Amino acid sequence: MSDNEKKISRRAFLRAGTAAAALGVIGAAQMPGQAAAAATENMTFQASPTGQWSKLHPRHDYGSALVRFVENDDRWLGTSELLSPPQNTSEADMGFNQANRGLLGELPQKGVRNFIPKHPFGGAISFARTLIAPETVVDGEPSPEKFSIPDPEQMSQHIKDAAYFLRADEVGIGKMPPYAYYSHKVKQGADWTKPLEENIYEFTERLPYVIVVMVDQHLETMLASTGYDGISGSQSMRSYHATGNIAVILAKYIRTLGYRARAHHSANYGAPLPPLMIAAGLGELSRTGDCVIHPRLGFRHKLAAVTTDLPLAPDKPIDFGLIDFCRVCKKCADNCPNQSISFDREPVEYNGYLRWNSDFKKCTIFRTTNEEGSSCGRCMKVCPWNSKEDSWFHKAGTWIGSRGEASANLLKSIDDMFGYGTEEIPKYKWWLEWPDNYKVESAATASGGSIYNK
Amino acid sequence: MSSALIFAAGILFLAGVLGLKSRANSGALWRKIVNWLLYALWFGITMMGVSFIYINASVGHVKATSTAVFVFLGASVVLALILARVLGFLSGKKPVGAGTD
Repeated sequence: MSDNEKKISRRAFLRAGTAAAALGVIGAAQMPGQAAAAATENMTFQASPTGQWSKLHPRHDYGSALVRFVENDDRWLGTSELLSPPQNTSEADMGFNQANRGLLGELPQKGVRNFIPKHPFGGAISFARTLIAPETVVDGEPSPEKFSIPDPEQMSQHIKDAAYFLRADEVGIGKMPPYAYYSHKVKQGADWTKPLEENIYEFTERLPYVIVVMVDQHLETMLASTGYDGISGSQSMRSYHATGNIAVILAKYIRTLGYRARAHHSANYGAPLPPLMIAAGLGELSRTGDCVIHPRLGFRHKLAAVTTDLPLAPDKPIDFGLIDFCRVCKKCADNCPNQSISFDREPVEYNGYLRWNSDFKKCTIFRTTNEEGSSCGRCMKVCPWNSKEDSWFHKAGTWIGSRGEASANLLKSIDDMFGYGTEEIPKYKWWLEWPDNYKVESAATASGGSIYNK
Repeated sequence: MSSALIFAAGILFLAGVLGLKSRANSGALWRKIVNWLLYALWFGITMMGVSFIYINASVGHVKATSTAVFVFLGASVVLALILARVLGFLSGKKPVGAGTD
């Protein structure tokens, strides 16, 4: 081959270069998965299409509700309107700690020590839950060297799949609202005979993202329960324990990858979880005031979370018409055994945001002193969003229910007509009851110490 | 089980179409349309009722099952009577042109 034949003219070289660049751009735009895969080749990672929820669940299962995406900014957290910046609250002021401190009376102060363990099964699950409570379990220093990871979109899908693999029923990722953190945390093993200041410390963590995991409280058990019998506390503990373990594992995994991550679960919270769940696109705030309803699971779930600085692509909060629905339904308020839930038509201002201002003190008093069982989840049991099995007519029902006030009225009427939510189905009652142990006095003397902040 | 039931429902629908064809296709066009719409409505309501009752009974929703028996099967019987009357089963007379297929 001669030298002339080997040479290429400048014009031809530029043409070939332009064509190659154009092909590259078109290829990258059309196949983001393959482009991302090339960037993460050393992980033998196969990227999935952009916009997908995750590999194991390509689409988030919202059931049949009509869902649209809304904002998480300084005016709105999902469908909750912020009138002024909400203040960070202290963990010492949450219901069970108010009971611990004696602010709700003598009986709740006794009852809060044992309202879960007075049913032996609930106590057993709660025991396992407290094993993952220490700070050294939920938090720690990240590895000094960062692992290579995919881009935030792909990493978000990966984290969601990791949660599903760990048996989460749902998972979402949100922009962490800074006002949702506790201002102060209660020390582990707090001694409430001492002044408040000696039992709390300032909680300073502020991380940009939150991963929220959700586990179902078990449909059949709920169908058989009154909502406030012996199994009620165990239902909560089942999901607290499961989500807590998932969160602890995810946080440890992320720290090992070289990023900061803290698990928040029922035995060690750094933030109350409802706003985190809304931020992660998993639901809307309900009439109960602090329970967030997922379009498919209702609020038959418990949550745990991981706050992190791992680069992630947060999901948007959702709107499936729940505000309109709760405005007219009021079934939870009708059925609350201690009349703790508001009958107001419109939400009112509370700590800078709008919500139905239910009486959490009355709710706490009933849960800690309930002598017909352990704790209470009656509002969860009767809610039309979660009181039934998966079927075409319930899907039709939630589809109707997410379409405004008139259709919400219709769904509620049909729900009542067919007796959903308020029935107990005895064939699923698998647990044992020990009513003699449910008295507050006998329970309080059976074993000491609060189940919270151990 | 549900696949078998859906298959059985399809067979029953087809059997109904074949059984009623001679009577439902008689008369003016509007009448044919009314006949078939009524048949489809009756079949739909009946099958929805069967499915609703079957699922609720198997889960154990007692009130939902008994209410559905009353609501869905009640509607089914009423529609069946109207259909039978329209197709001439109850009048004792066949409509003009019936049985010529």
